[in-house]
Amino acid sequence: MTEPVTLTIDGREITVPAGTLVIRAAEQLGIEIPRFCDHPFLAPAGACRQCYVEIEGQAKLFTSCTTTVAPGMVVRTQVTSELVRRAQEANLEFLLLNHPLDCPVCDRGGECPLQDQALAFGPGESRYVEPKRTYEKPVPLSPRVNLDRERCVLCARCTRVCDEISGDRFIEMFARGAGQVVSIAAGEDFRSPFSGNTIQICPVGALTATPYRFVARPFDLSSTDSVCAHCAAGCNVRIDVRRGKVVRVLARDNVEVNDAWTCDKGRFAFSAPDRPERVTTPLLRGRGLEPVSFDEVLAEVAGWCRTGRVGILAGGRLLDEDAYALSKLARTVLRTNDLDHRRAFHGGRAEELAAARPMSVTYRDVERAEAILVAGLDAEQELPILHLRIRKAARRGAKVFVLHARRTRLHDVAEHVLVRPGHEAYALERVREALEAGVPEGTPEGRIAAALAAAGERAVVLAGPRLCEHPLAADVALALAERTGARFALLARRAGDPGALRAGVHPALLPGGRRVADAAERAEVEAVWGEVPTTPGRDAMGICRAAAARELDVLFLVGVDPLRDLPDAALARRALENARAKVVISLELGALEPYADAFLPAAAAAEREGHLSTWEGRPQPLRPARPPLGLARPDWQILVGLAEAMGPGLGFDSLEALRAEAAPLLAPREVPLRSTAWAAAGPPQWIAERVLFTYPLLVDEGRLSEGATELKAALEEEPFAELHPEDAEAVGVRDGGWVRLRTAAGEAVVRARVGGTVAAGAVFVPFNQPGLAANELLTGGFTVGVELQAAAEPSDAEPAAVEGVA
Amino acid sequence: MGVLTPELRAEAETIIARYPAGRERSAILPLLYLVQSVEGWVSREGLREVAELLGLRTAEVEAVASFYTMIRLRPTGRHVVNVCTNLSCALRGGREVYAAAREAAGLGPGQERSEDGLFTVHEEECLGACDGAPVVQIDFVNHDRVSPERVRELLDELRRGEVPQPARGAAPRDFRHACRVLAGVEELA
Amino acid sequence: MSEPTRIVTAHFDDPSVVSYEGYVRAGGYEGLRRALQLAPEEVIAEVKASGLRGRGGAGFPTGLKWSFVPQDTGKPTYVVANFDESEPGTFGNRELVEREPHQLLEGIAIAAYAIRSHLAFIYCRGEFLWPGSVLQRALAEAYEHGVLGERVLGSDYRLDVVLHRGAGAYICGEETALLSSLEGERGQPRQRPPFPAIEGLYASPTVINNVETLCFVPHILRNGAAWFAAIGPERSPGTKVFSISGKVERPGNYELPMGTPFRVLLEEHAGGVLGGRALKAWTPGGSSTPMLTAEHLDVPLDFESLQQAGSMLGTGAVMVMDETDCIVDAARRMVRFYAHESCGKCTPCREGTWWVKRIFERIEAGYGRPEDLPLLEDLAGNMLFRGFCPLLDGAVSPIRSSLRYFREELERHIAERRCPFSGRGPGLGTEPEPEPEPAAPSRPGPGRVTIPLSEVLR
Repeated sequence: MTEPVTLTIDGREITVPAGTLVIRAAEQLGIEIPRFCDHPFLAPAGACRQCYVEIEGQAKLFTSCTTTVAPGMVVRTQVTSELVRRAQEANLEFLLLNHPLDCPVCDRGGECPLQDQALAFGPGESRYVEPKRTYEKPVPLSPRVNLDRERCVLCARCTRVCDEISGDRFIEMFARGAGQVVSIAAGEDFRSPFSGNTIQICPVGALTATPYRFVARPFDLSSTDSVCAHCAAGCNVRIDVRRGKVVRVLARDNVEVNDAWTCDKGRFAFSAPDRPERVTTPLLRGRGLEPVSFDEVLAEVAGWCRTGRVGILAGGRLLDEDAYALSKLARTVLRTNDLDHRRAFHGGRAEELAAARPMSVTYRDVERAEAILVAGLDAEQELPILHLRIRKAARRGAKVFVLHARRTRLHDVAEHVLVRPGHEAYALERVREALEAGVPEGTPEGRIAAALAAAGERAVVLAGPRLCEHPLAADVALALAERTGARFALLARRAGDPGALRAGVHPALLPGGRRVADAAERAEVEAVWGEVPTTPGRDAMGICRAAAARELDVLFLVGVDPLRDLPDAALARRALENARAKVVISLELGALEPYADAFLPAAAAAEREGHLSTWEGRPQPLRPARPPLGLARPDWQILVGLAEAMGPGLGFDSLEALRAEAAPLLAPREVPLRSTAWAAAGPPQWIAERVLFTYPLLVDEGRLSEGATELKAALEEEPFAELHPEDAEAVGVRDGGWVRLRTAAGEAVVRARVGGTVAAGAVFVPFNQPGLAANELLTGGFTVGVELQAAAEPSDAEPAAVEGVA
Repeated sequence: MGVLTPELRAEAETIIARYPAGRERSAILPLLYLVQSVEGWVSREGLREVAELLGLRTAEVEAVASFYTMIRLRPTGRHVVNVCTNLSCALRGGREVYAAAREAAGLGPGQERSEDGLFTVHEEECLGACDGAPVVQIDFVNHDRVSPERVRELLDELRRGEVPQPARGAAPRDFRHACRVLAGVEELA
Repeated sequence: MSEPTRIVTAHFDDPSVVSYEGYVRAGGYEGLRRALQLAPEEVIAEVKASGLRGRGGAGFPTGLKWSFVPQDTGKPTYVVANFDESEPGTFGNRELVEREPHQLLEGIAIAAYAIRSHLAFIYCRGEFLWPGSVLQRALAEAYEHGVLGERVLGSDYRLDVVLHRGAGAYICGEETALLSSLEGERGQPRQRPPFPAIEGLYASPTVINNVETLCFVPHILRNGAAWFAAIGPERSPGTKVFSISGKVERPGNYELPMGTPFRVLLEEHAGGVLGGRALKAWTPGGSSTPMLTAEHLDVPLDFESLQQAGSMLGTGAVMVMDETDCIVDAARRMVRFYAHESCGKCTPCREGTWWVKRIFERIEAGYGRPEDLPLLEDLAGNMLFRGFCPLLDGAVSPIRSSLRYFREELERHIAERRCPFSGRGPGLGTEPEPEPEPAAPSRPGPGRVTIPLSEVLR
């Protein structure tokens, strides 16, 4: 039934799509029916009974949150029905029966739906004279979330979020009747990366955030609508500032992007820019690092760049505008194509497409897809809100498949194909073969092929960072999508990655994915920029190797710390030692302190105006929640300053001017079809008998998460490696025992976790975890051959990696 | 130290197999009874093992277990004595029987389980046997028209290690045995 | 009345019918045999024509319910027998199963055949350890003798029946809560629509019927719809197993035609009020139905007549109170039942039963206030039909009927500050006994509720 429905509410007519709930229809008329358990993003529960309405012709009252509109329905809300008004008042009396008068000490006070609705719809006093239920309170459900059972109105929004949205059923209702309580299983705390959403969705002060406990009142806060800068999911957020410090981040509704959710990292990791380690003055190395003015340091750096060969490493922190400025600075002022933001270099044609054609897949496409193939991505850890969207699609009946070296938290809704790192192209090729051969159902590849073939355009292929680590994998995934008509997206994890790719912070690509090596495409850019160096440059690891070999003199580190971020710690160290001048543009020095020759203080995302593009390629505006601290400046401004210190400038001196210039270059463009290098991908790439692979988990030691103590309480206590049972048995390692990992770069002894979570022959360690710097074991990529050995428990030395022969 | 031995795990598999494929969660109650039959109550470890068997989180299992009165989440006596005090039984003296049962079991105020671990005495809702009011269940089989003296006798018999003959049918040896019957892995006579 | 008055309890005096052989000797499985010769739709038509209405309390026409099951969804269909019998005062199902389990199995098999189901469940309340075991044995016999399994009675129809035991929750007698429980969830009711016939067990079309209802089905198939429809009043045909207990000489189950006047059940069958005392109050259908008084002795026991009298047939579970019984105490105990059994999902039930229970406790203990009576009246109005499921409406019955017929008794408790029947209360200068803690679902740790009665304001 797709006919729109016309009904009357409180004497006013409205026409809405069939299937609309009465409570939603009323909202469209501006009529707020009180409610607690209802939430637009959750399935109707009908539990709190607050949203009663009268329906003409019916003897009983109906809950408007569970009633769908019917043609000609005549509804009366509390506005025009005394019966309804009294019923709602009676319900609030029931609801408040056991509620403690905690408002003065409750964090929710001032922004509390119970307060507001009790005032508007409730009785002035209660007739209840019996003793109230009391509970021990607060009960910590996790280091981030506190539960106050006395305040809880048992609307079950929190348990429903965990059940319907995140699938993390750590919290549930226990017991029954008046003794019903929200609870966790003792000893298994609420360790979901989405736990914070329950705090925001709780209509009372029952679930509260530990970092925000007793911190502020709503009238104390100045709030700014912005976008989260932790990853490329692009959650819309509201940043709350009190006395100049960010004290809280909440999710904002956006059905096109994050629905009503954000992950715990986005919610709780906001303290990094306020830490004492933050440096907000420019520094120049004399005898030590000394504070200087911007003019001084820019002049000095300009001098180095005029006479030296320059390489630029960028991280994932840059806003879209910063990335554009950097891309132009490199080519037009520093005259080099040696710049890169990536850490994996086999994106191939898929990368070009991502740079040239944003929004080829949107969140909505994922939500509505009938088949989804997720290859080379751990969505929950890398793009959490996309993970939620995939779950939403699965609930709607989509067939979801995951092709990955490690099992992901989609395993309850998706068929997983565990693939050894390096074999992804081969596995994807098998899917294509299954398509050609008429899809045998017995194998996972056959099922994937069948699902993609059946869904045609309504399928989505999501290619993650792991595919870019091995030759051809991303392109095979792209070809597979093109073969079945599925929509294709190449996904990057960090917030700045999509914008950096599109802007051309890339040795071989200019803005809009135009190839450096193609004269015609280069000419399009030169029309705006002027002359551009014609030879593609070195990628990030190439830049490091060149710096280490003294083939580069000046190394720019723009929002990146090679010692921690790049997959070869030893090479990073040599690069930093041997490059003559290191220019750091960041918020703090950290491990770069002994190396930096110049430091330019950048403004934090919460202090910025600008745009960040989501993994879809959707630019979203950021707004400053407060001005930059100290002398810190937006990155683009620093780059413009450098360009001006070197003479030519960048041709713009305001964000508007920058955007105006960039717009035509970043407009979506068709990538001409070329004959692709791949026909059949061939046999799997042999790296070694056993392969160590790593990627960053959501909560890690990343710099943007510094200071988020409650968030980082979720970090594992000791480093671990995940092994397949066959590999563990072969070397005599048991679950919970110790294993020595030896690669060409070094070795480490860590706790072994043996189970079915990784592909056979693959060993997983998290990147960037306390106790193990995984990049000490890597030799230039996130995958490396590894030898396993059973080990004895390490005595007192930290099981950190030991530097091996370089 | 797990609750379920390999033999019990094999029984657990037969329980799960009663339900259609993909509907294993339906086995949660009989599995809880199976775990309960080992120690007379479901401990934290027991909940965890049931969760593991069904691919659920412990919280999900505990949520279900805590909903029902017959799943015991605290140590329970060897024998569970249910005394109905709902209307029909109350009208025929059920409350006095309950008081007598508590006294005979040696329970102090607020206590549910006797010190010697023999008895847990419960006040129950209607047991569906009102024609035999006042009704007392020993390990979930009925004893009809039980007077305060009779309930004292029943507890004495149990203390002596005897199993009193119920109003109809056979009786389990004790609560744990009853749980195995409830799990469907054993027959009652 | 000259019609045969015993259909489902006709063999209660023959202990051999508990076994397969005895049941068959008494004519058992004839109904199933006949059903298998008809098309499934014809079986539904027959049950429809009989006018059989559900005996579990709702009284919904059984054949009509079966006819709602769609056969084109591609999903399997299920039959669930509701053996959760927990309504206070009800024990008809228990005896039916204990004495003649195969009668239930035959009814289930016919129902399953009618809706083309190949898997049926019997949801047996946990406290029925022995009755469930009787069923278990009957199931084994049925499989052994080819009544269940791959070829039912030699036909090409296959059927499996699984016994599933509950664990102590009255709410699981409610259809959708039963399904939740059977699926391994907490036993909380679900939104309707969709109705179980369309989306029930495992989101598939499901027929849920009360045990007694199913026990009639074999007889209807054996003797024909017309035979059944001719018994009793037109809108409530057939007989009903009435459970009568409390202050009567001969408590027990009595199968009588629908529409039998209460006086007949009480005096002719149950031997009258215990000890010849005066009748004070009685529930027609368990504690969920409003109490009636001696005024209503001649009310016919059927759906329509009891509704007109201001109550309901419910499960036909009659509990009888005499002149020595305190209605306030009775109502208090009944309300306490609902508070204990409330699933907690919806506000008015969870909080309303909690509140009303405490008010009745206070009044019974001698701490009532005059304003408590209009308060109870108002709360009952705020609770009736306001909950997610009808459990709350059951809780309202003792409140409203005690206020309607026994207001003076309530007023006396309040005025005298004691219970005039037990004598307990401060009015007499003695301390009330602390109410023992009701059997709460056991859970460890924080969350224990401690309500000392002595903290009540007065």
